[in-house]
Amino acid sequence: MNQSQLPETLEEKLEQLGQREETARQMGGKDKIARRTAAGIMNARSRIDALLDPGTFSETGLLGVSTVYEEDRDKTPADGKVAGFGLIDNRRVGVVSNDFTVKGASSSMTNMKKIGHVKRTATDRGFPLIFLGESSGARMPDNMGSEGMGTMLGNDPHQYVRHRETPWVSAVLGQCFGSSAWYSCLADFTVMRKGAVLAVASPALASLAIGQKVAPEDLGGWKLHSEETGLVDRVVETDEEALAEIRKFLSYMPSHNGETPPVAEVHEGSDEAAEYITQILPDSRKRGYDVRKIINCIVDLESFFEFKPRFGRTAVTGLARLDGRVVGMVANNPLAKAGALDVSGCEKVTRFLVMCDSFNIPIINLVDTPGFVIGIEGEKKKAPGKIMNFMTALQMCTVPKLSVIMRKSYGQAYLNMGGGRNSDSVAVWPTAEVSFMDPQYATEVVTWGKDASDEEKSAIREEMERNSTYLGLAQIFAAQSVIAPQDTRKYLIEELKIQQLRRSGGIGRHNMASWPTTY
Amino acid sequence: MTITNVASEVIGSVWKVEMNVGDAVKAGDTIMILESMKMEIPVEAPVDGKITEFKVQPEDSVDEDQVLCTIES
Repeated sequence: MNQSQLPETLEEKLEQLGQREETARQMGGKDKIARRTAAGIMNARSRIDALLDPGTFSETGLLGVSTVYEEDRDKTPADGKVAGFGLIDNRRVGVVSNDFTVKGASSSMTNMKKIGHVKRTATDRGFPLIFLGESSGARMPDNMGSEGMGTMLGNDPHQYVRHRETPWVSAVLGQCFGSSAWYSCLADFTVMRKGAVLAVASPALASLAIGQKVAPEDLGGWKLHSEETGLVDRVVETDEEALAEIRKFLSYMPSHNGETPPVAEVHEGSDEAAEYITQILPDSRKRGYDVRKIINCIVDLESFFEFKPRFGRTAVTGLARLDGRVVGMVANNPLAKAGALDVSGCEKVTRFLVMCDSFNIPIINLVDTPGFVIGIEGEKKKAPGKIMNFMTALQMCTVPKLSVIMRKSYGQAYLNMGGGRNSDSVAVWPTAEVSFMDPQYATEVVTWGKDASDEEKSAIREEMERNSTYLGLAQIFAAQSVIAPQDTRKYLIEELKIQQLRRSGGIGRHNMASWPTTY
Repeated sequence: MTITNVASEVIGSVWKVEMNVGDAVKAGDTIMILESMKMEIPVEAPVDGKITEFKVQPEDSVDEDQVLCTIES
């Protein structure tokens, strides 16, 4: 029957309801959907189907439409944002999937209520929230004028505040301006498909308003966000891969901050890999190596899930499992700038520490750093402030913190990487060297203006090197254990059991739950 | 037959090249050693194959992501 006719019987009413639901599920129409499919891009609904366990999506607001302008009622199925609840690996999640085929998934009255409902429910009832981003920003002309602004915006005083009660995930799957961009910055984990764009406003608006001609990729493409801004945690080639990454991330996370992360089975062969560490660690203190190889030898096989691999590469951060239990790995990478922490590296570690502490994930530091990068480039980017953000974050963590000093640990970075009482316990490898600064530079400092001969200088340097070994830390109990590299896995598993938060059932105090999400 | 570009992870200079064109390599073999921030940074083969070309030589400066050599596999 015609949708505008008023049905009389229940049968007619149900038939009309069925038709309305079917129309809503068509999204922006067959042509638009077909064009996306031909381009290999999924649509708002197929993304949800691929993300959730099959058949578990229960939609909310299917019949929501825009009522701001009468003529939009029939042109805005689901008001451009598909929302609801479902299961991932049999655990509850909330999801909002932007439908770009309906007015560019722009934000307006009804769809903002839908987002608010899913967000509130996820937070109050304790499960993760997932945003599949692809939206053009505020809907025009709905938001225009003082009445438009007053009606549309500012109705929710908690719209963009994070208290990290439950994990938030965001996928950048197309043009993401406005809310899709904001939620990507607020999320604990953001994955981006190559070709998508994340920016405050579109290249077209940049051109119109400030005369800046810029390609979308330069304004907010994957290279910018994975290498320079660090706003994106992982980059993938396809929608399907992005959705798989979300499922994988959530497998490490508790449903909310009042529980501990799920325990997984230990991959066979995990204990055997520990032996290979000695082959990766170079004999020469001057030789670099990729610390990710060492991490992979220590954690459960195939469990290391790296965050921001191309941003702040002097540090490595990622989730992993040790004996099936989730841990947050923080390591220096001597492959980049000799492992000297730079501003990006500090930002990356700070954000990671805050996330781990907020969701009851113990932290493991693997240390091999000559210190912080010095020089004008870092100072211009507020290096001292970044170093202190990082330090404050570490000291505020209430989850168990363990440190392993593998090789170098110098100066302030010794503290930032968990030296002394900044970890619940510190272990050192026999290859560890700890001091205030590299003996080579320290020799120059102490002989400054003293006309020392080369022989005198080298005697001073050798004496300093002798005093920088693991033994000093062990003898004054600034390190609690000395371990062979190949025993690190065994040691960490045992030490995590000792340091378990028994009194609170594994739940930390979450003192940084409301810290910013970018630095 | 695929050609793999081996790129530098760091800004630095080439210290020494440990292999020759035509040499067979296995993934993980050290092809050359760069110097950066007073550290020696090994460049390892990402795949099994044969070295077909070197694009740099000792003492050359290299940028991050600069292609150093190619491997055919």
